[in-house]
Amino acid sequence: MRVSFTEWTKSGSPWVWLNAGAVAICMIMVIGLLSLIAVRGLGHFWPADLVQARYTENGNTMVMAGEIVEQEMVPAAQLRDAGVNVPAGMDFMQRDLVKVGNRDVGGSDFIWVLDEFMSERNQPDMMFAAERREWGNFYGYLRGLKENGKLVASYKGYQKTDEYMALWNNFQTRIERTLDIQEQISDIEKGTIGSINYKLERLRLKQRSLELKGVTDQSRYAEIDDRRVELNAEYQALQQTLLDLYEGFNRDTLVAETAAGQIIEISLGKVVRAFLPNNMSLGDKVGHYIAKIWEFMSDEPREANTEGGIFPAIFGTVMMVMLMSVMVTPFGVVAAVYLREYAKQGFVTRLIRIAVNNLAGVPSIVYGVFGLGFFVYFLGGNIDDLFFPEAKPAPTFGTPGLMWASLTLALLTVPVVIVATEEGLSRIPRSVREGSLALGATKFETLWKVVLPMASPAMMTGVILAIARAAGEVAPLMLVGVVKLAPSLPLDLNYPFLHLDQKFMHLGFHIYDVGFQSPNVEAARPLVYATALLLVAVIALLNLSAIAIRNHLREKYKALEM
Amino acid sequence: MMNTEAKTHSIDIASMQRDNRTLDLANEEHTLKVNNLKLYYGDNEALHGIDMVIPKNRVTAFIGPSGCGKSTLLRCFNRMNDLVDGCRIEGEILLDEKNIYDRAVEVAELRRRVGMVFQKPNPFPKTIYENVAYGLRIQGINKKRVLDETVEWALKSAALWDEVKDRLHESALGMSGGQQQRLVIARTIAVKPEVLLLDEPASALDPISTLKIEELIHELKNDFTIAIVTHNMQQAARVSDYTAFMYMGDLIEFGVTDTLFTNPSQKQTEDYITGRYG
Repeated sequence: MRVSFTEWTKSGSPWVWLNAGAVAICMIMVIGLLSLIAVRGLGHFWPADLVQARYTENGNTMVMAGEIVEQEMVPAAQLRDAGVNVPAGMDFMQRDLVKVGNRDVGGSDFIWVLDEFMSERNQPDMMFAAERREWGNFYGYLRGLKENGKLVASYKGYQKTDEYMALWNNFQTRIERTLDIQEQISDIEKGTIGSINYKLERLRLKQRSLELKGVTDQSRYAEIDDRRVELNAEYQALQQTLLDLYEGFNRDTLVAETAAGQIIEISLGKVVRAFLPNNMSLGDKVGHYIAKIWEFMSDEPREANTEGGIFPAIFGTVMMVMLMSVMVTPFGVVAAVYLREYAKQGFVTRLIRIAVNNLAGVPSIVYGVFGLGFFVYFLGGNIDDLFFPEAKPAPTFGTPGLMWASLTLALLTVPVVIVATEEGLSRIPRSVREGSLALGATKFETLWKVVLPMASPAMMTGVILAIARAAGEVAPLMLVGVVKLAPSLPLDLNYPFLHLDQKFMHLGFHIYDVGFQSPNVEAARPLVYATALLLVAVIALLNLSAIAIRNHLREKYKALEM
Repeated sequence: MMNTEAKTHSIDIASMQRDNRTLDLANEEHTLKVNNLKLYYGDNEALHGIDMVIPKNRVTAFIGPSGCGKSTLLRCFNRMNDLVDGCRIEGEILLDEKNIYDRAVEVAELRRRVGMVFQKPNPFPKTIYENVAYGLRIQGINKKRVLDETVEWALKSAALWDEVKDRLHESALGMSGGQQQRLVIARTIAVKPEVLLLDEPASALDPISTLKIEELIHELKNDFTIAIVTHNMQQAARVSDYTAFMYMGDLIEFGVTDTLFTNPSQKQTEDYITGRYG
């Protein structure tokens, strides 16, 4: 059956195809984006096999070992220009990026090698990988263990035997012991000593404030001194415990041989975990993978953010978004209620609405500049003068921090909340308001008891949009409170628990920092994807919870069928 | 079930007509008095000097073609027109000899004394119980015992108690249109107003619900003074004691319902009730 072109056009089919096509392209782009960052990011945590090979280039030979991270084809001509002896008749050569680790020995984590020039390629069973607190990964053969400088166990040879496995298990037990001690040390250093330091600082501020007030009553100073002596004694005692712990912590050392045959010693205190990648079953690998991902989400960063986890950044992002919502919701709702319910509608309200809508279009960095100039320097500076003179010249609120970041973002998103709330208020049927007024309720009572609850789903819509916008902002935050590495979380057990003046870490900024400011670009790249994936997940989670609340409210205040 | 219900709600028209025979405006106590009331929307005069009274414990019906000002007049009685931008009023309306448009009058208090039921049922998105208790809570009455009693009394008075007594704490939005309208009436009488204004209360309802509302009006006039706006002349004839016919913002004729329908004194009234326009 043939259909003429005009008939086909008239039937509307092309229109349907066009629309469906647009939707399909959107879907493909979203799914493609998510899968790209998911694959790139999550693949990083899989324990790759270790390859050892002899590499000969331009007559120089070396033995190397590591993970092959990336492969690409390069034109032979380009290599020839670079001075590499490429066999004639080749147009392209495969080039591999190998993570060789051992930065303390070889100087760099990653090297590019030509696949063609590798020989004697094998995957030695007994080669191990160790994640360290500094110098990145180590790859090599375990040769022995030392306790207080004395060799307690050793092994020679390259075959995996029971003897080697005994040494390996001994090694694992010692790592666990060291990690245990490490945990105790960090508990004391970050927890107890941190809290003592915090209390000492508060005492110092208290004393300074007494001095500034011109208090001459010596008993109050004496009180502070007593307390300080007490805290210092506590500190000394802890210091002794710490020394003992450190001694145990540094007791063991491992002796290892690199692929090139160099013998080196590594203190076990530096090792986070060690494993035999070529000797792992699929189950082992999955376990390792899950442990690594958990570490990534729950741990603190190490090595200039290129290793370890990003928990502080997740925490900071969520904290900041929540504070922002708490600030923006009442502010936006109150403004919208005035604009819609109380203000006399006319030229001025129209002008204000236009201004509010345009405010949503101002580039976010401008808000950052405003936040720095007004909130941080002006408001914060004055707050310091008024309430924290004892801390001067060190600023308390007169420096970028969590509160100013949240406030800046609240300002950035307030137009969204105002517009959504106004929309919701305008949709409440007039008849319901009249019903309430006719029962003797005042305008305020009507608003408070009937109109606002009914408009609450619309307010939540505003908050959802605000969260979506705020959680992804990075530019203004760089000016008003985000840092590359925050020493502590803004929420802890020290009074007043929530430290609004503290700087914090943020996933968005973390991506920027790891991706562009890292000294070790190759190591950082997969983390950029993983962090991006996590940022998307966090925003989705925040949004989903807000949407759940909205749906609950919608169900409760189902719109009237009028 | 259906049969018995229909029976209990049928109206004893004979008895109503018997009542009407003895009616005379001169013998009535007047709850509301309207003196030369003029109402303007901007520059447009919508009511041209109305003079009338609303007799106590009687049903007064307002009839007339669309746009004649009957709803506008009704909304003047509890100052609902205050909410309309550009609406201005001259003249006075006396409730217990006091002008409700006086500056000293508290509007919320006035509206508590003069309750209103609207054309479309407008329950709040709350439970049935909370809908009825709303007016009391507004007045600061929060004692559970008082609320329980009043809610039951109001729902019984609105002939709704038997239908909803088992689901008082479910949303009012799940009720049928007729039930919602009776709920709104219950909500209004729960605050015990002196005057009940009904603005076409049955126009959005089916015939059976309409019948129930009419029956209810007949019951309620023992306790309340009722003013009702209706499009339906039969309804006005059935439920009201006095009827006012309005046309183009003027009160054309006002008198005992029976007389107005059987022997109108004005030509325009006769034309309207015989269906020549409207």
